[in-house]
Amino acid sequence: MLAYAQAAFPVRHRPAVRRPPRPAPIAVPLLMQTPGGETHQQWVVAVARDRDRAAFQALFGHFAPRVKSYLMRLGAPAAQAEDLAQEAMLSLWRKAHLFDPAKASVGTWVFTIARNLRIDAIRREKRPELDPADPMLTPEAGPGAEDGLQAVEQEGRLRAALKTLPPDQIRVVELSFFADKPHNQIAAELAIPLGTVKSRLRLAMLRLRAVMGEMP
Amino acid sequence: MSILHHPDEELLLAYAGGASGEAMSLLVATHLAFCDQCRRAVAEAESMGGALMEALEPAALKPGALSATMARLDEAPPPAPARPLSRDGVPGPLRPYLSGGFAALPWRRMGERLAYLPLFRRGGMRVKLLRGVPGTDTGWHSHRGTEFTLVLQGGFTDATGSYAPGDLQVAADELWHNPVADPGEDCINLSVTTGPLRFKNLIPAIAGKLFGF
Repeated sequence: MLAYAQAAFPVRHRPAVRRPPRPAPIAVPLLMQTPGGETHQQWVVAVARDRDRAAFQALFGHFAPRVKSYLMRLGAPAAQAEDLAQEAMLSLWRKAHLFDPAKASVGTWVFTIARNLRIDAIRREKRPELDPADPMLTPEAGPGAEDGLQAVEQEGRLRAALKTLPPDQIRVVELSFFADKPHNQIAAELAIPLGTVKSRLRLAMLRLRAVMGEMP
Repeated sequence: MSILHHPDEELLLAYAGGASGEAMSLLVATHLAFCDQCRRAVAEAESMGGALMEALEPAALKPGALSATMARLDEAPPPAPARPLSRDGVPGPLRPYLSGGFAALPWRRMGERLAYLPLFRRGGMRVKLLRGVPGTDTGWHSHRGTEFTLVLQGGFTDATGSYAPGDLQVAADELWHNPVADPGEDCINLSVTTGPLRFKNLIPAIAGKLFGF
């Protein structure tokens, strides 16, 4: 039933593009019906190629509440987190043509957008970054460029592996992403020595790398 | 040339997760310009960020959020922040902080053989470029805090090893060392320090104070 979306945002019919499924209402938790990473990729392609608003709506339904949640975990007040989540989705709409499925899943790409928006808007700092097209970069070693399926598949494995980490390791990994503080403060917060934080991080990364098929 | 001395897991994770401040981000991003291996490690860490974000309990948005965003889709986009490409041997992430190539910079001289250029200070971190002609001996020193030194051009050697372009040396406060610039090109380093250097001898100690190391 596309009637709702089409009434609100009429979309030109393009037979070449696979229609995304009906977007779920935003307030409803999506855990039960979360589509896989490949579907997300198809939606981003539809946004990039056809400026497909129904696909955007579907992406919004999935990612905006997670970006908001991520920003709130990092201490942003709900209203600001909401504004930035909307900004992040606008950014996705504008940069969809830059998304490279060989490099990362849509979820990872959205994470980096949200991370950078937060540094810019909340911390008011610059974030020096490398342009992946920089001619100075030596070409990737090893087997040729991975295709999008592999990136998605690899992240599926990573997600499963994260669930198998012991709780003390998952805690330090989470704090690396959801706490805006250096590791010595993380150590203080968890009331464990800094060396322990570092060794837990190392163990966690070793385990995750092994799962992702890359030798440390 | 392959890089021997890399940022540790913790620095790469802090960069990928967005926890590092501007000084450390500049250091890591500039290292990435030299290092394929760490670029992959950061990409992996970003995938972890993506996976962790996906696993969060979604936070409900306000009722009008979607339509408010949809209404803005046709707005003109704000100018995207520039990510300059490397030029004249200056890695891209560093270029916004410099007025030109290494040869054209307003270096401040410390004697005949050493020069430096302060870039910025933020959050207790001092960021500068250091330059030494081949054979320059910087004098025995250690640090209050930690000194991160990323080689951009040339190289240097001390008791801990040799450092070539792209290599990162992390010197904690217990390390007394005496880096000497390698033969060849001038050695140019990006330096981030969390505290002033401590020199063993009086003259460099006074010079250090004067020059704000």
